[in-house]
Amino acid sequence: MICLELEQHLDSYLDREIAADSAAAIREHLRTCLSCRQRVADREAVGRLVRSMPYYEAPDRLHVHLSTHVRRARVARHLFAWAAAAVFVVSVGGVISLVRPSATGDDRTAGDVVDGHVRSLMAGHLFDVRSTDQHMVKPWFLGKLDFSPPVVDLASAGFPLVGGRLDYVSGRPVAALVYQRQQHTINVFIWPTLSDRQNIGAWTLRGFHVRHWVRDRMSHWAVSDLNETELSEFVAALRRM
Amino acid sequence: MPSRVFEETVLPHLNAAFNYARWLTRKDEDAEDVVQDACVRAMRFFSSLRDDDARSWLFAIVRNTWYSRVTRRGAINPLPLDMTDDPADSAPNPEARLLQQHTVARVRDALEQLPVEFREVLVLREIEGMSYKEIAAVVQVPIGTVMSRLARARDRLSRVLKSSPAAMERAR
Repeated sequence: MICLELEQHLDSYLDREIAADSAAAIREHLRTCLSCRQRVADREAVGRLVRSMPYYEAPDRLHVHLSTHVRRARVARHLFAWAAAAVFVVSVGGVISLVRPSATGDDRTAGDVVDGHVRSLMAGHLFDVRSTDQHMVKPWFLGKLDFSPPVVDLASAGFPLVGGRLDYVSGRPVAALVYQRQQHTINVFIWPTLSDRQNIGAWTLRGFHVRHWVRDRMSHWAVSDLNETELSEFVAALRRM
Repeated sequence: MPSRVFEETVLPHLNAAFNYARWLTRKDEDAEDVVQDACVRAMRFFSSLRDDDARSWLFAIVRNTWYSRVTRRGAINPLPLDMTDDPADSAPNPEARLLQQHTVARVRDALEQLPVEFREVLVLREIEGMSYKEIAAVVQVPIGTVMSRLARARDRLSRVLKSSPAAMERAR
């Protein structure tokens, strides 16, 4: 190994893009050649400087814009699928009923709720109103929604309220309340419903747990990456209030 | 192809795509436009994503989007043949020299002055940690070209920075 050879392989050596035996030969050479060691050190310093550069992050509005764009495309595709299904049903003479069990609607909503949760975290748009005071969060929704969501703090149960925001789920404006448990965020989406569901629905989608219940004609959807036990605890605490 | 899968495979690389676009364009607004266009294209061509390297795939689309914009505008400077034109240290006054000791600003300026073909391979290699093969996929050149561009890019950058020893010293 002579210095000229090292010069040729300097970059692929530093980038670990060189065969193991060549790398070993270079290391061997470096043990004895001070000037090549210097050359390697200089080269490494250049790399370090580039790595010290600021990482430019996409602005929030770009995250939001693209998520919305993706959602719209999905809705359009769903509509198309339903239209195609309807045409099919009509064409076979209406023998097959389009009526599907109501669970399917909830399944879709659970998916939308998870989307909403992920979007709020990805876009860094968790709050419109940041407050641990339920008496500040509740009035904030006044005039922004055609209903008044129940807002309670659960700090006493270990789930402090941290804020609220306006969101869209399944094509309608909803209230989103944000609770915290250590580093985990819990989004609770609330909107009025005609359903009088008695039990609690549960889903696990893409690693997120979803719980759904109805109380006082308000549909509640809680979603989080929190483990199932603690999320159930949270839901129980919220339903007790 | 359901867009939910798009959200999970492509959108997580949005910040990285923006960082790359920002280094290509050197302007926030331009980077934002490029990434937005690129993502809309990526959605349309999502079914063409064969392997699971969504990042390289998205970066290649970002690059194509950027490239077609600059060539349409006629704003691209082709890679200069003469590599000896060092942007020399032309800052004789003490104030400017002091400014140069701010490493980050100095290195950023030096990087931004590099021809984009050199700048991008450095960003992809050092900041994104991509392999030569991945860089070749993004830039759409042979691996050998990636290697020689990286070597020349580092030569150039260190020559520029040697006029500012403080930066090099701090990196060591």
